[in-house]
Formats: sequence, C-alpha cells, structure tokens
Amino acid sequence: MSNQETSKSVFLNVNGVSYPVTIDGGRNLLSVLRGEIGLTGTKEGCDDCECGACMVLVDGQPVNSCSYLAAQTQGREITTIEGVAPSPEEMDPLQTNILEAGGVQCGFCTPGMILSARALLERTPHPSEEEVRIGLSGNLCRCTGYARIVEAVQRTAAGAKTATGDTGQ
Amino acid sequence: MTTHLLVATTLDEALAAMANGARPIAGGTDLVVGARVGKAPLPTELVAIDRLDELDIVGMVPGGSDDPTPLLFVGAMVSHATIMNHPLLAASYSGLADASALVGSPSTRNVGTIGGNVMNASPAMDTGAPLLAMGAMAVLQSVSGSRTVPLAELWTGPGTTSAGPDELCVAILIPRRMGEEGSAYVRLEYRRAMEIAVVGAGAAVTLNDDGTVAKAAVALTAVGPTILALTGLEELLIGTPLDDLSLSAVAMLASEQASPISDLRASDKYRRHTVGVMAKRALEAAGRRAAGETIAIPVNRAEGIGAARNAAAQNGAAK
Amino acid sequence: MTTTEIPRFVRADGPDKVTGSGRYTADLTLTGMLAAKFKYSGISHGRITRLDVTAAREMAGVLAVLTDADVPDVHYDPQIKDRTLFARDIVRFEGEIVAAVAALTPEIAEAAVAAIIVEYEELTPILDPEAAMDKSSPLVHEDWESYEAGSWLVRSGNTASFSSLERGDVDAGLAEADQIISSRYVADGSHAAPIEPRAVVAQWEGNKVTIWTSTQVPFDARAGVCETLQLPTNRVRVIVPHLGGGFGGKCGFHFEAHVAALARTAGRPVRLVFSREEEFTIPDRRREGIVVELTTGVRKDGSITARKANVVIDCGAYIADTAFFPQLAAMHAVGPYLVPNLMVESQIVYTNHQPSGSVRAPTAPQVCWALESHIDEVAKAINMDPVKFRLKNAVDTGMVGPLGQTYEEIGLRRCIQQATEAAGYGQELPENEAIGVAIGWWPSFASASGSYVKLDDDGAGQIITGAQECGTGAVMTLRQLAADELGMKPEDFEIIYQDTATGPYDMGATGSQTLLNNGRAVVEASQQIAEQLRELAADRLEAAPADIVLADGKAQVAGSPESAVPLSKLAAIAGSGKLLLGHGSGSPPVAPPIVGANCVGDQGMASWVGPQFSCHAVRLRLDPETGVTRVISVHADHDSGTIINPMGAHGQVEGAIIMGIGQALTEGTRYDETGKQMNTSLLEYKLQTAADSPSIHTQFVEVFTENAGPHGAKGLAEAPNIATAAAVANGLAKLIGSPMRQLPMTAERVWDTISEGGS
Ligand SMILES: Cc1cc2nc3c(=O)[nH]c(=O)nc-3n(C[C@H](O)[C@H](O)[C@H](O)COP(=O)(O)OP(=O)(O)OC[C@H]3O[C@@H](n4cnc5c(N)ncnc54)[C@H](O)[C@@H]3O)c2cc1C
Repeated sequence: MSNQETSKSVFLNVNGVSYPVTIDGGRNLLSVLRGEIGLTGTKEGCDDCECGACMVLVDGQPVNSCSYLAAQTQGREITTIEGVAPSPEEMDPLQTNILEAGGVQCGFCTPGMILSARALLERTPHPSEEEVRIGLSGNLCRCTGYARIVEAVQRTAAGAKTATGDTGQ
Repeated sequence: MTTHLLVATTLDEALAAMANGARPIAGGTDLVVGARVGKAPLPTELVAIDRLDELDIVGMVPGGSDDPTPLLFVGAMVSHATIMNHPLLAASYSGLADASALVGSPSTRNVGTIGGNVMNASPAMDTGAPLLAMGAMAVLQSVSGSRTVPLAELWTGPGTTSAGPDELCVAILIPRRMGEEGSAYVRLEYRRAMEIAVVGAGAAVTLNDDGTVAKAAVALTAVGPTILALTGLEELLIGTPLDDLSLSAVAMLASEQASPISDLRASDKYRRHTVGVMAKRALEAAGRRAAGETIAIPVNRAEGIGAARNAAAQNGAAK
Repeated sequence: MTTTEIPRFVRADGPDKVTGSGRYTADLTLTGMLAAKFKYSGISHGRITRLDVTAAREMAGVLAVLTDADVPDVHYDPQIKDRTLFARDIVRFEGEIVAAVAALTPEIAEAAVAAIIVEYEELTPILDPEAAMDKSSPLVHEDWESYEAGSWLVRSGNTASFSSLERGDVDAGLAEADQIISSRYVADGSHAAPIEPRAVVAQWEGNKVTIWTSTQVPFDARAGVCETLQLPTNRVRVIVPHLGGGFGGKCGFHFEAHVAALARTAGRPVRLVFSREEEFTIPDRRREGIVVELTTGVRKDGSITARKANVVIDCGAYIADTAFFPQLAAMHAVGPYLVPNLMVESQIVYTNHQPSGSVRAPTAPQVCWALESHIDEVAKAINMDPVKFRLKNAVDTGMVGPLGQTYEEIGLRRCIQQATEAAGYGQELPENEAIGVAIGWWPSFASASGSYVKLDDDGAGQIITGAQECGTGAVMTLRQLAADELGMKPEDFEIIYQDTATGPYDMGATGSQTLLNNGRAVVEASQQIAEQLRELAADRLEAAPADIVLADGKAQVAGSPESAVPLSKLAAIAGSGKLLLGHGSGSPPVAPPIVGANCVGDQGMASWVGPQFSCHAVRLRLDPETGVTRVISVHADHDSGTIINPMGAHGQVEGAIIMGIGQALTEGTRYDETGKQMNTSLLEYKLQTAADSPSIHTQFVEVFTENAGPHGAKGLAEAPNIATAAAVANGLAKLIGSPMRQLPMTAERVWDTISEGGS
C-alpha cells in the first residue's frame, strides 16, 4: 500500500534537460511526461501502442511512451515533440514541410508522426515512398489519408540532400 | 498496485532478482501493454534486462559434443529491428528475419525482443514458426545453472512455458548450416502493418542438386494452443520437387493438422483454409531461397501475400 | 468575385500543432482538479433493482458521486426526448451511465466506481432492427408515446422515425420493365474513430460554469448543458481547445453536463478523459448499421423504369440526432439517377445497441454501397457497361431529379467521365485486378451562422467566429475570405473561435457547413469594414468611395494606383473614431421546391441546397485464395462547387477516401450475442495505415452555384466519404462474379463469397 516503498527518485533526461521525478516502477513514460514533467505535446490516443500518438524517441529510436516504463529510460536521451525544433524561433524542416505540404489537419497524430519520421530519416536518409509508408505505419492518422505526410517526409529527405540547405521552407 | 523495478546491469544481478521472484521485462511490448489493456496487472517485482549488453549479441558459437556443427546465437535482448536488418540473418536465416520484419510497427520492432516474443509464448507470435521449422532451442539460465530446451518442449500452451519462474532466457540457438537451406515466414494479415497474425507459416527447406527436396520442415502460427510443427512432411516431400502438386498436398496437410479457434479475427473454418495457403506459400518461398533466389525481407511485402505485389510499384503502374 | 490565389495554405493553428505547444482538452490542468469516471451498465438491457453508492461516497479522496437522483428531472435529445443524463430504472445499452464519480486521482475514482453496487433484472436484448419493427416485438422504450417529440416525426413502437418518398406509380413502372432486379444488402455499424479520445473539463466560478470540451458543436453542447442542468445560456461557457478530429463522432451533446454537475457538487474543477475503449462504446455516435432492400425495373435500352426500396436503420438505444436519417437514407436508396417511378420506405428502429449518430455523411456510404452495388447488378442483367449505364441515367444540369428538384448547373456526368478516363477504365488489367466505379451525392446544409471581423489600429485583423475547427481547415480558410474582401493577406488575420462566450452562434463542425455558412457571415462582416475603409480612403484621396479598390494592403483609386493609402493608416484613423468592426450572419439559402413527390414523415431532406456530386474509380487487387483485397489507386472527381482552398479540399478528399477504404474492407463493429461490442481497440477495429493507403488522384469539377456558399462553394468534408466503399465493392464483384452482400467486405467474407461461388 505504501508508495514510499516502491516509488523511486530517478532522473529523466528529456530534450536535453534532466528532470528529477519520484515515480512508481510501473509508471509508463507517457504519464510521467504529461503528468510529472508537464510536457503535453505527446498525446494519448489508445491503450495498446496501436495509434502512435504517444511516440517519442529514446536514444534516437521510436518508442510508444504509453507502454514503456519510465524508469527504464534512466540515463537515456528522450526526445519529445517539444524538443524537435532547434529554437523557439525556428522550426525543424520536418515541421515546416508537414505544414506546407498540408499534412496537418486536427494535429493530434502530428507530434508522433514527426518523431517517427525523424527516426526513419535518421536510419534511412533517402527513403523510398514504400519505406516512408512502412516507417510511418505505427502512426494512425484519421484526417489526411497520409499522402501529404508521406510527401512532407520525402520533401525533407530531398531537402537534406541539397548542400545549400534549401529545405523547402 | 505498486511495482518495484530493478534495472539490472549484470546478468547475475538479474538472475538473483529472478531467484527472489522478480519477473523479467525486456521491451515491455507484451508485458506493459497487457497490463494497460487489463489482461494482467503488472507484477509487483520486475527486473529490467534491457541493459544487459551480453544478451544483445548475434553470432556463431561452436556446437555441442554430439553435433559439432556451429550454432547461431541470438541473444534474448536482440530486437526485431536488429534481426530484420542483420545481414547474416537476412541472408541465411531469412524466415526469422521475415517474421521480425512483420512485428507491429517500427517502434514495436525497435523495442520488442526475440526473448520476449518466445517467452511470451503466444500462439500468434511471429518468430515462433520459423524458429520451430529451423529446430531452434532456448538457452535458459538461473542462479542454479543453465539448460538448453528445444522450442517444441518450451511452449506448453497459450502464454505458458516449461521454463521455471527463476529462469531467464538468455539466447535462442539455431542449429543450421549456412548457405544450404532456405527458410521463409509468411502470415495472413488484413492490413500491411500493425497486425497480429491471423494465421502464419514458417518453412525451412534443403534441396538436392536436382532441385528435389532433401529436408523440409513447416510450422504453423495461430492455429493451436502453441506454434504447431507439421508432421508427415517427409512422406510427401522428400525426393519430390516443390511443384503445384506437392505444394497443394502440403496445404491440405496443414489444414488437416491445424486445430484453430474462432475469434474476432477469423472463424476456425477460414483459419483452417488459409493456414494451408500460408504453408504452401512459405514452403514455396523457402524452396526458391534454397535454390539461390533472393526474395526481399519480408516475403509478405516482397511477394504480396494477400497483398498487391508492391504498393509503390503498383502505384507507379497505375498512374 | 475572385478568390485570392495562394500557392500554399499554411494554417493559423499549424505552428501550435507541429511544435506540441497547442493544447487539447486532455492537456488542460486546473488547480485542485479532480478526475471523473463513470459507472456504466455493462449490460445491453436490464432493469435496475438496486443502486447503492454509499460505499463509494465514503471512500477517502472521493468528492462527488452522482446518480439520476442528484440531477434535475429532465429528458433530452434534440428530436425525441428519450434520454436522461443518468440511467433511470431501465438501462438500454452497455454504455449507459449509471453513476459518475469525481475523486482526487483517476485511480481513486476507478476504485469508487468499482465500489458502486448495481443489481439488475436482466431483460432480453432487442438487437435485430428488422425483428424489432414487428408489432409483437418487446419495446426498447415502453413509454415511447409519452416522449416529447418533433411534430413532423412518424413514430410507432420501436420505429423511432419513419419516412417514405413516393413519385409516379411504382407498380406501373415495374410493369413496363424488361427486367426486374431485386437485391438485399446489409451494412454493419462502424465508428468515426478520431485519434483524440474525448475529454471534458468543467470549472464553476460562482453560479457560472466554464466547460472545456472536445466537441465539434460547442453551441449544441451548451444547449444540452443548459437543458439538463436548467441554466440560462449566458451562465454556461463552452470552450473547445484544439480538437483532435471528430468525423461526426464528437457532434451532439455528450458528457459536458455530467462533468459540470460533478464539479458543482465537488466544488472543484473536474476532468474526464476517455480511454479508447470508452471512445468506442459510450458516445451516441456510432455509424449506423443498415439493411437495404432494392428493386429496380429496367428496359433493355438501359433506362430505369422504377425503383422500390426498403431501408431499416439500427438506431440503437436512443435517438440522438438521427430522426432525420430515414429520409436521408431514402434519398441514397434513390441516388442521383433519373427514376420516374419510385417508392422508398425508410425507418430508424430502436435496439439495445450503442446509439447511432451523425458520422461523416450519415447513412450515405452504407446506402450508396448498397445502391451502387445494385446498379452494377442491374447493368449486368441487361449486358450494359456499368459506367455507360450511369452516364445514361445520371441526373444532369437542367434536369428534374428523382424527387422533383430541378438542378442548376451540376457536374455529375463530367465527374463520371473524368474519373473513369483518368483511372484508365476499360484498359486491360493484370490478373486479379479490377476497377470499380461508383457515384454519390450529398446536400449542402444551410444554417444560420455568425461572425465578427475587426481591424485594430495597427491594421491587424481578427475574425471572431462561433465556428468550430475540427481539423478540416474550414475555419482556417475563413482568413482567406476576409483577406479577399479587404485586399489583405490571410496571414494578416488571427482567428478567435470555438468559444460560445465570444463568437456568435454557429452550428459547429457538422454537416460540412462551416465554410458554406460561416464563410458567408465572414464575407458579410468583412464587406462592412471594406465599406468603412473605402469611405475613409475616399476622404483622403478625394475620390468617390465607389472608386476605391482595396488591394495589396492598400486602398487605391481605381485606375490610378499611385493614388493610394495603406490600410494601416486608415486603421489608425479609425482607431480614434469609428472603429473598424463588422458583423455578419449571411442569409441561409433556401432549398428549391420539390415538385410531384409525396413524402410521408418529411424530414426536409428531399430537396437539397447546393447538391454535391462525386464519382470514384477504384483500382484494386484481390488475393483469391485468402480474400484479402488491396486498393491500388483511387481516382476521385467531385463537384463541390467553387473550391476556395485547394490544399484543404484535397486533404478532405484524401482523408475521406482512406476512411472509405477502411469502411469497405476492415472497419466494422462486431457484437456478441448480448449486443456488446467486441472490437473496442484499434488492434481489432482496423483503420487503414500509411502502408495500406493507395495513391489518390483528385480532380474538382468546379461548377459555380449561386444558391450556396461564398463564391459559389458548396460543402465538401462529407461528400468524398460516400462513394469509395461502393466503388471497392464493384471492383470486387467483377473479380468474384457476384456482389458482396455485407459491409465491411472483410477478407473472410470475400473468401466465403468466392467459396460459395457467388450469392
Ligand atoms: C502494437 C503491437 C504490435 C505487435 N505486433 C506483433 C506481431 O506482429 N507479431 C508478434 O509476434 N508480436 C507482436 N507484438 C507482441 C510483442 O511486441 C512481441 O512479442 C515482442 O517480441 C515482445 O518482446 P518484449 O521484449 O517487448 O517482451 P516483454 O513484454 O518485455 O516480455 C514479454 C514476456 O516475456 C517475458 N520475458 C521477456 N524477456 C524474457 C527473457 N529473456 N527470459 C524470460 N522471460 C522473458 C516477460 O516476463 C513477459 O512475460 C506486438 C505488440 C504490440 C504492442
């Protein structure tokens, strides 16, 4: 019954900031990000990793934070949507491109989508359309029909190729 | 409900925790998801094994005294993403790579492990059928020692294994000579991603020089309480080519031996029929690989099992 | 009037949404906030014999437990008042709310819910709507006759609303036919399934309550709260933070009153957040299951002589907003065809399933699927190509439609021609591939709607509107309309929206109506400011106001662009005098009269303002050994009038088509034998993923429609959801050799149909 026995103080490294949190070993990362740390950009759309709205990166790799134990991420680098833009004034090319391609409607899937896309481009800098579609297949979008999101990822990949830094913005 | 989680940094620490009743957690994609959807609450004592780098290794190890052939060692913490992208596995243990490449989504494959897949013992697990067809074994270790168990003896029912609660699966061993065998895994899926196998089949085949079958094994997914090894294949296949006739006979055999249930995903009747189709297709792909043909991982997407052959190419063709 | 040419459409809410800084309802936290949980019936039909909340009330950390006894005695629902906030005596579906709890944490609230004791005398669930129509059937609502209901409704027992459409003499028409084809189709229920599960936060200050909620219809939500908690509208403020999709699923008044009542009792703010399972099972917004029986008489030359149809819609336990569905469904059983003689009977019938409600083009995808499958059967029976058959029988400009509405210029036949041509209809295809074609139609819903527009003293604009953005971009597009009128850029405007306390009334993100109705309001409000600006400029430029043109951020004299003054300067002048304020409510266009048709239970759906038309050509591939179908490409042509925002419009079509493919193949509600849903997770209720989605090629047949929205626009968001499943069905029927009789056309059902050698 006593929380003291099992709750532990741990440090979670989110978007380059170290947060001390006291949590039960069974707490999932999503609830800690949203509830304890106060970063609500990561969304909760289901209970079982089926929608991808809760996607974050742990050491650069995509993880459904709704079903990952927060304590397992100690010492690792967590990236949420709030950590994607290089600065408050500037957006990441993925963010700009998904907006300009028309890949954002209700926006609820967008944070997870952007993080999955980032992990994909990290692994596969020049993905084929099929690779983009498989790479985003863990993120459900009910609004857009995906075409414009896929296009945004491809635009970003193409932009990253050009040395001039023209990212299609 | 509260849970105590120990993040183990050494194997001994993990085994000691298990000896004290802790349950191992690898990626948590079965365990935590199961708790969230109310299948079973999280255990009160957990030991995380994801930092045990010695369990995240793929390589060859020498065989035992009775069979000196080297074995493939896949550490229990190896993720599905690692398996599908591993050149050796993709080339020579393709059936396993096919299976891992189909698991859930990129994030599930990134986090989910082979150890978790095997030890979770779901009859719908994807790596089970190719591993069983390849004669794989699990290495189980506890504070009191280590033993190697053929997978056929490991799985005892849906979600249950013959491993003791204190035994950690440290690796999967696959006894296989590289380069002479072809293997493949296919499954029936209603979507091209984020699926659980409706049914599936894994096959491993060695061919004679004349193209006839020298050795063959097929195992079936989601048509019984555990992954099911097909029996009686030898009579049908040894010395015959993999042609329409022999493949249809295998399909019938698979449908006969299956004992599927009806649930939300499919009726028993449909499962019984389609598992035959999957068996035939897995065997055919494995035979082509044994003959030296390259079929991209996973066969499902390369060949379009229940799918358009290749969505991108098709889209192009349709424009 | 031209629309601003913008090469790209960057949403005003875009930066919030891509950076994670935008707040959705579940993201809100208020000091002292409690967590709400509901106690559900968990059974489909039963009589409450005991309800005891004592233990729950006594639990530490529980601040409010409410039941029917704790709220005003009010029956609600817009068209038939058949419902109370909490179950009273009888529970009629598994998601009926019996009690509500507010506690310090969600865990405590859950424990309190578990501690509530409810006992039932279980009653036999009424699950088959056709059987429920029988006079001998037990009733879902024993007291149906006593409910207050719209006078236009024709009701009887479990039949909550009946409607018929009649024109000509159907028996004589059938007698003239060379062939008579009859078929029966059954569509399962399905779900809107927005990715954001709904959430509600309520906080009282004194006798006023503010409710943040994920609704598509803030004014309806407010009306529901006012009705059930007996409050005047000015003491209830409904604010919608960003809304994570709706698709109709978040229309209507839902749980706002429950949460507000909890917050009042607890004296603290309360937040409710649904799980995915609740999102599937609890709201009264399931896409309805429908049984459609169709009979068509046809001559050898391909002309239709008559149509007879019967439509039975599964209402579920409560009417919600579905009382007009029968006539809407009946229109889809007729379709955009020249049918001289027709008789359609249509009814929505109470059952003990989850209540149905408006989901994206209610009744249309299902009935269109049935009708268009049937049309292919009819064409086949006379050996006519199905596309040729449609071109022969489809309505067109200047023609009198099946219910006697005369059409202005419409683009249906052009849609058919263009979509089939672009899809390569008629070409040789690889084995196991086919192209299926279907057409659809849909009204534009005219409604009252209001907006303010203002320019502040620096010339920056604000649109303050009651309209609701659910993701479609319709509210975002309002900037474009204001910019057009004032010669400014869309980026010069910010939008204040989805707050009942600031914006004038709007119907909400429902019925594809935002741009249609609120667009007219914004244009009207902007025109008032434009007039003021022209007068101010005329003074300074010494010209007549009528000669002043607003363009490029300036007011200039027509023909002499050097004589100009920046709008910011005019705004500054206005800022110390008569402020630049505009208000508009547009005037809703009126539907044309219907001639020569007879409608029993007329629900106002037999004649349509700004009718929209579409044709989808779907190329697909079938694995005949398993029945698994993959859609390879979709060519979609749409007449939705003038397209104001091309990028937004394409996005609507693309999203709707993928939803349509899901409905066609993988999305369908499954019930157990007691009427409870079994596939209540996104693993078992399968939306299409990025990996499943085909290429989509959309063309708009832009027809200017006078009697519709701004600049000749019609509605758009629902129409593209209508014909896709039907086109998939027709492709499949070609490959299988016989039509699929049940929706969704799952792999197993396809395989069954193949195995039976057709049906
Ligand atoms: C969205 C989604 C999709 C999925 N799709 C698929 C799919 O397509 N195919 C498929 O096969 N599976 C699928 N799964 C299931 C799951 O991802 C896999 O079974 C995965 O391999 C489990 O690995 P894990 O490391 O996450 O296991 P965990 O959840 O960590 O563990 C699973 C079980 O095994 C035990 N365990 C873990 N490691 C060991 C060990 N080394 N020794 C002893 N016991 C151990 C745990 O105690 C637990 O009981 C899916 C899951 C999700 C959430």
